Amino acid sequence: MTEKAWMLLLEGAWVTLWISGLASAMGLVIGLAIALLRTARIPVVDQILAVYVSLARATPLVTLVLFLFLAAPTLGLSLDRYAVAIVALTINTSAFNAEIWRTAFLNFPRDQQEAALASGMTPATMFANIMLPQMIITSLPGLVNEMTFLLKSSPAIAIIGLVDLTRVTNRISAVTYEPLPPILAAALIYMVIISVLLKLQSLAEKMAGRLAM
Amino acid sequence: MSDLPAVEIRKLSKSFSGVEVLRDIDLTVNKGEVVSVLGSSGSGKSTMLRCINWLEEPDSGSVFIAGQRIGYNSDKQRPMTNREMAATRARTGMVFQSFNLWPHLTVSQNVAISPIKVKGMPKAQARDLATQLLEKVGLGDKAEVYPFTLSGGQKQRVAIARALAMSPEVMLFDEPTSALDPERVGEVLQVMRDLSGEGYTMVVVTHEMEFARMVSDQVVFLDKGLIIEKAPPEIFFTNPASERVRRFLDRQD
Amino acid sequence: MSEWSIVWEARSTILSGLWLTCWLFTASILGAFMLGCLMLYLLERGGALAWLLRGFINTMRALPFLVLAYLLYYGLSQLGLRMNAVTAGLLAMIIYHGAYFAEILRGSRLVLPPGSIEAAQAHGFMPGSIFLHIILPQLLLRTRPLIGNQLIYALKDTSFLAIITVQELTAAANAVQATYFIPMPAFVVVILLYWAITACLELAVSKAGIFGKARGFENV
Ligand SMILES: Nc1ncnc2c1ncn2[C@@H]1O[C@H](COP(=O)(O)OP(=O)(O)O)[C@@H](O)[C@H]1O
Ligand SMILES: [Mg+2]
Repeated sequence: MTEKAWMLLLEGAWVTLWISGLASAMGLVIGLAIALLRTARIPVVDQILAVYVSLARATPLVTLVLFLFLAAPTLGLSLDRYAVAIVALTINTSAFNAEIWRTAFLNFPRDQQEAALASGMTPATMFANIMLPQMIITSLPGLVNEMTFLLKSSPAIAIIGLVDLTRVTNRISAVTYEPLPPILAAALIYMVIISVLLKLQSLAEKMAGRLAM
Repeated sequence: MSDLPAVEIRKLSKSFSGVEVLRDIDLTVNKGEVVSVLGSSGSGKSTMLRCINWLEEPDSGSVFIAGQRIGYNSDKQRPMTNREMAATRARTGMVFQSFNLWPHLTVSQNVAISPIKVKGMPKAQARDLATQLLEKVGLGDKAEVYPFTLSGGQKQRVAIARALAMSPEVMLFDEPTSALDPERVGEVLQVMRDLSGEGYTMVVVTHEMEFARMVSDQVVFLDKGLIIEKAPPEIFFTNPASERVRRFLDRQD
Repeated sequence: MSEWSIVWEARSTILSGLWLTCWLFTASILGAFMLGCLMLYLLERGGALAWLLRGFINTMRALPFLVLAYLLYYGLSQLGLRMNAVTAGLLAMIIYHGAYFAEILRGSRLVLPPGSIEAAQAHGFMPGSIFLHIILPQLLLRTRPLIGNQLIYALKDTSFLAIITVQELTAAANAVQATYFIPMPAFVVVILLYWAITACLELAVSKAGIFGKARGFENV
């Protein structure tokens, strides 16, 4: 493979990384917001969120990306491809993250909550200072795992013509007529990125394990 | 044929990562005999029992099941194949301290599956056999339930029926009552007593002195991997040769 | 309202996409499941092959599904191995999800108490028989929820095959919207179909829990 081809691959990797990274970050926050709203059990809102989570988890990313790309203009929204990709990935990952956060919330030890309230904290203070820090640590392994899943589904954005790390291999082989080397090289780059995430996950598991002691 | 001992252990040695657990064990168990194996915890009782059916492979020495050497094909001068090993193991029955029933199978299937899969017995015949053996251990009404619903004593009786289903030459028991609630011990010992009455050959690792005294033909005492006493119960319990056994017996009461 | 009736008019396209998705999904999870069990058996036997398989499974777990599909569809053609998109897609599904099934079963195998296997050895079972009659059934009862999740991932991964030109459900939605310019209803219908299949899978997997429950396997 030529130097040019490697440069293209790295550009593709960059597209994969920043789109997935941004969607992951937004998905973390939105997921937490959904989880908190759901624990409040507001009628109607709770049902709507439950349906949202269930639908978003069941919809393949390819379908979602294509849907947003084609349907947004009919609703008068003009989003460029990148925006569509980010929104779709965020919708997808926030639904999975919401379930992870919610589990952490529901499993939070009751006695700690009682102790905090008994010592005069308001529920908001208790949440911010007692619950959230621990929920972050216990959820971290699941959240990192979800990032890995998001990264592995991110090639879905190729369907609207974005040139990510997978799609770029087509670009390269269109010139060289040799598809195998760029695909194998892309696979290698994915393996490097994902092994970093797996490393992070095992670190997160150690931290969570220490908290459980 | 009938003169051959059910189990013969010759010069058996075994170590785990350099630590000798069994040293030069010699033991003969004749057909119809009940041998109790006593000894404090860690003395090598389980390891000796597990060497008899090669669940543990000894470092040296040999074991014969009704005249057939296990682990080594004497005719062809090579280690046994998986198939030969399985066929030889099928001639022994083993009952574990922790029952080890197969949790995904019903009680009746637990008893019937080995005759079906190992011996190729027709299914209907194996089911009849299971029914009959479960009656024998007093669990005829439990045939269709799954093991997790049973008490420890019931589980152990199923495990005994399961081993009997293979019509083994010898039954090996590894502390069959140690994991049981005290009030459940009696029902299992009763089944074992019945088996000895019917002439089954048994090797029983146990801490039940009363059982060893009343039922066995020979009592063997293991200490740090050595057999230091081998005697009929009348002599073993009243007039043991070694000081070590005397101290062990004193502590029991 | 008329847009929705167009979808109804175009139902044969959607249905043929649905049929292909269901067919690909069913064939590939059956194949993947058998491949996963086979890999587990080979892992059980150990040796160099087991070592290679571990590497293969870890590789699959570090790759997006689409990369494997690309490799089989575009990559292998360079070596003269040309497959049509459906064959390549099916093969990719079987290999990829087979590795994930193997990993699920392996994880559970590591924590399976050894007692039930020793008992089978003591009763004279052969290794293959132990695997089939003692180990595998217990692993399946223990891993039901994880297998259920994997089924849903597999269903969703079939949509990637639209990118390598397989005319499955997502491609069908695209075809309908491109012909009639009705992206909204076409995709809403297709997303609801995915949702319905997922719901059926979840229901089936949860119903399958009765096998485990009857045997005392829940919460192990
Ligand atoms: N698989 C094994 N690996 C290492 N050491 C073992 C193993 N099995 C038994 N041992 C050791 O061998 C010794 C004898 O064990 P065992 O035969 O189980 O004794 P007993 O049944 O008399 O209590 C003990 O010190 C035990 O720790
Ligand atoms: Mg022991």
